[in-house]
Amino acid sequence: MSEVPPLAIVRCDHCQARFLPHPGLCPRCGSDELVRTEIPAHATVLAATELLAPAAGWPSPHRLAILEATESVRILAIVRGPLPTLGSVVAVRRTNDLYEVVLPSPG
Amino acid sequence: MRVAVTAAGVGRFGKRSETLIDLLCEAGREALDGIGRKPVDLLVVAHMAGGTFAGVENTAAKVADQLGLDTSAGFRVEAASASGAAAFHAAVPLVAAGGYDRALVIAGEKMTDLPSAEVARVLARSLAPMEIAHGATMPGLAALVASRYLTRYGVGEDALDAVTVAARAAAARNPNAQFPTAVTSAQVRESRPIALPLRLLHCSAVSDGAAALVLERTAGPAGVLGLGQATDHIELVERPDLTSFRATQVAAKRAYEAARQTRKEVDFAELHDAFAPFALLDLEDIGITGPGEGAAWFLNGSTASDGRFPVNPSGGILGRGHPVGASGLVQIAEVARQLRGESGPMAIARRPKRGLAQSIGGLGSHNFVTLLGDTGGGGR
Repeated sequence: MSEVPPLAIVRCDHCQARFLPHPGLCPRCGSDELVRTEIPAHATVLAATELLAPAAGWPSPHRLAILEATESVRILAIVRGPLPTLGSVVAVRRTNDLYEVVLPSPG
Repeated sequence: MRVAVTAAGVGRFGKRSETLIDLLCEAGREALDGIGRKPVDLLVVAHMAGGTFAGVENTAAKVADQLGLDTSAGFRVEAASASGAAAFHAAVPLVAAGGYDRALVIAGEKMTDLPSAEVARVLARSLAPMEIAHGATMPGLAALVASRYLTRYGVGEDALDAVTVAARAAAARNPNAQFPTAVTSAQVRESRPIALPLRLLHCSAVSDGAAALVLERTAGPAGVLGLGQATDHIELVERPDLTSFRATQVAAKRAYEAARQTRKEVDFAELHDAFAPFALLDLEDIGITGPGEGAAWFLNGSTASDGRFPVNPSGGILGRGHPVGASGLVQIAEVARQLRGESGPMAIARRPKRGLAQSIGGLGSHNFVTLLGDTGGGGR
């Protein structure tokens, strides 16, 4: 498993929801008691797709996955390689405000 | 509530040469003809993005003028792809409260003036900024929902094909449908991949069209029994469950409670199947089946016109066409026409007493459920 830095998330001290950094108040309860924290950057692949009619400016195919990290934090991530197996655990990193699945090193 | 749909008008779907205003007025005229041109004092118009798609704004006043609704009240409502349902939900309480005697509700969209890539870009504006930044599209997110659903419940892609096959078979009986031809599972499976597991025939098409209906404070076979609406987190990943639309579940609960009825008393439904997997979720979210059971219902024919619970006898969005701002009202109009015995070749096998329309705005972020049924009075 690739070594990757932890992911920044937000915890709501009112309802204990955990979510990715998000504009505005807690999306679950509307509280402003939000605290930045971190979770390990490894997550299980819940769903994946290959877009063959991608949005303008994206290559075809463009691959996306929904991942679930600890604390039930879900992440929409770009996959710049073969789609990972559903149910497998992958590393994820945030680069330039985009989440990407970290591909295994060649060899 | 004592408000009923007393007339409906539904236009032809597909590529139309008329303007958005003309499409809205065509449907409006048909509905007004249905009540003998009695005067209306409220006009509620809906379209999702007429300014962008068709270059027109201030639509309610333009429609009122073109239909001769001299000084009637009027305004426009927007709720993404559920805009048509939102217009109905806005009008009903205004009529029920006695503020207006008779409302004309019209919803339409004119999408085919723009290249399809531009249409897709406009539709994607309903998504969360983070989703757009990651290159997500409406079909892409629908595919992720499908991926999770199929895996979680061990369902095969043939269930998605069955939804399209059923929709197209029903659309073949709808004289207004954009796709009035049946297709086979093999044709669905061989269609171009869009966002796997979704293929072209699992996805609704860009379309022009409109529908209208008249609401009056009266009883009737298409009375308003209950309305429900809910929003949900705009980002798909922030929702508690990827294999259901909570906004539909909550909207349905609210509609059943308002109607003081249960799901068991509903005879049929028009469901929002902009993408084939949505029909499976919809059937579960309105409580007709349990989680993961929707697929079996489509595969074994339970949702056919003569089945246990007919779904989308008008062909659904997949078969009928999806002028986005219109579809929510088209569904309600088609439910009303079934209840009023006006569905012609689309009539379901057993004359229903109660029907449900369910509309999805955005990617399940803004959903509406409408329950119509016989409230007495006998008149059509």
